[in-house]
Amino acid sequence: MLAVATPGELPPYAGAYQPQTKDERGLWMQSDEEERIVRDSAFVIRDAALNAYLRDVLCRAVGTARCEGVRIHIVRDAAFNANMSPNGFMRVFTGALLRIRDEAELASMLGHEFAHFELRHTLVGFKQERHAHNLAIWAGLLGGGSAIGVQLALIGSTYEFSRAQETEADMLSSRFLEVAGFDRQCAADLWQRIADETDETARGRRQRSQRYDPVGFLATHPTNLTRMRYLAAAAADQPSGRRTGQEAYRAAMKPWRALLLADQLKRNDFAGTEYLLGQLAQDGWTEELLFARGELYRLRRHPRDLVAAARFYTDAIALDPKHAESQRGLGLALLRSGEVERGRLALRRYLELVPAASDAPMLATLLS
Amino acid sequence: MKTLLAALAACLIALVHAAPAAAQEKSAVRPGFVLKPGSANILLLRPKISVGAQSTAGAFEPNADWTDQARENLGRALDAAQTKLGNRVVAAGDPVGPAARTLAEYQALFETVAGTVIEYQFFPGNRLPTKKRAGTFDWTLGPGVAALAAESGCEFALFVITEDQYGSTGRKVLQIFAALARVPISSGVHKGYAGLIDLRTGDLVWLNVDQQMGGDVRDAEGAAKRIGQLLEDFPGRPPAVAAPEPKR
Repeated sequence: MLAVATPGELPPYAGAYQPQTKDERGLWMQSDEEERIVRDSAFVIRDAALNAYLRDVLCRAVGTARCEGVRIHIVRDAAFNANMSPNGFMRVFTGALLRIRDEAELASMLGHEFAHFELRHTLVGFKQERHAHNLAIWAGLLGGGSAIGVQLALIGSTYEFSRAQETEADMLSSRFLEVAGFDRQCAADLWQRIADETDETARGRRQRSQRYDPVGFLATHPTNLTRMRYLAAAAADQPSGRRTGQEAYRAAMKPWRALLLADQLKRNDFAGTEYLLGQLAQDGWTEELLFARGELYRLRRHPRDLVAAARFYTDAIALDPKHAESQRGLGLALLRSGEVERGRLALRRYLELVPAASDAPMLATLLS
Repeated sequence: MKTLLAALAACLIALVHAAPAAAQEKSAVRPGFVLKPGSANILLLRPKISVGAQSTAGAFEPNADWTDQARENLGRALDAAQTKLGNRVVAAGDPVGPAARTLAEYQALFETVAGTVIEYQFFPGNRLPTKKRAGTFDWTLGPGVAALAAESGCEFALFVITEDQYGSTGRKVLQIFAALARVPISSGVHKGYAGLIDLRTGDLVWLNVDQQMGGDVRDAEGAAKRIGQLLEDFPGRPPAVAAPEPKR
């Protein structure tokens, strides 16, 4: 565990670390091979500005000495997640970037992943898992009928160990934020919204809410509720006036909003997306958000959804008459509702705005 | 009863790190494909080599030193083997920019197609009825693969994938004890496959799969034996004059 130096300071960081033991070198080699593949993947976003921004937030969160050994790759995946490999290779999913609201939340996530790297969690977890499973297989062979209990305990210990590591990373991330001057309550707020979104998704799919469930046997992470609580407790005594960086984050993510919303819509999660759009629209409905909401309703396709979708598209067009995608959505929604004339009018406006649209020939057949 | 429970429990754990039970080797050549020995320029894509240990419980433990040794030895052995056939092997470099993405995509596509052939055509268990007919071997990566060799002047691309897990001491001891309790536990995994793509059409013209390979890839002699097994039935190979090598 990281030794606590004077408050306001982190312990010095060695930097330029090379793996030492046989296991560690093996894991780094494996991660290097994986990084080769992901680096050249079609699913990685290579935009220089966005990558530089994430890098800048990481370096502000953990300090420049620490952030030099890390390579961040932005992966186009609509799930809320981020990963860290033992060799300093970090993956941030675009789903996380969509749900995060400000720099403090981003810093807490990047700091959490960095903490896994600094504390060598993959290596330590690998050794623990190997040891536990070796004992378990011997117990199974020698223990006869009573071995099952021992084996379950050993397997369970691996998952418990993983949960302890996640908590350790959360706490170290909170420490990074404290030193860097970010508002630490934001980390707890992020998990609150994730928990709420998960509840909404469950409700929409007519499933039971798992918010208050105890942690599962095979759970690698603590529950969202647990994380929310201990992160809030850690931030309870912080002084007021800490940085959140909401404006800067919003500005950096603005060019990407439309793409990330389109990816989110493909997840077939009506209630969860509706909740997420509501959260994103807390400072007002932009034409992008209204368009996304229109798409969400139109794609569910109940007769009353099409009417609601038409309304959302119309509101989006009122904000930006040149928003071509809204014209397209409006046209399709109206046509499907039976309002042929108004639908065709909207589609014609779309084709005027984007004559070289990829689906122009198909839409043209709807107009004849 | 106790032995049965012990067996069940051991199998439960063994399944967590299951090693495949298939002990087979199979290769196929695209019907109608002929390659004259000594006529081909072959682009060798970076081989996927993974060498490590197998823990007592069957988990893979990566080993960087062994993998580096294997990469070196297999590279040299491959060069020697292809030179014996008279073919020219060109190692694909590390491209930069969009070319790198194309290369990565085709490497992934090859692994997917080869995996499909292994799962659905080569070995009993999940074979598709249309693929069981004798003489069927019709797979392709599509004509776009020609972009890989635009500058190298090669007509074929060779993919090589090997995976080795050498059983640790603990695993071997467990194997002995398990044998006493009449529980079957395997030690070591040595799988590999190699495929040849015709870069002009994108067709998979040859694929050789072996789920139990021989040869210790960590030394030069073993690597030569491994390459010999990987290139078995390579089109254009002169008829074998030596007796077939016994499998380890």
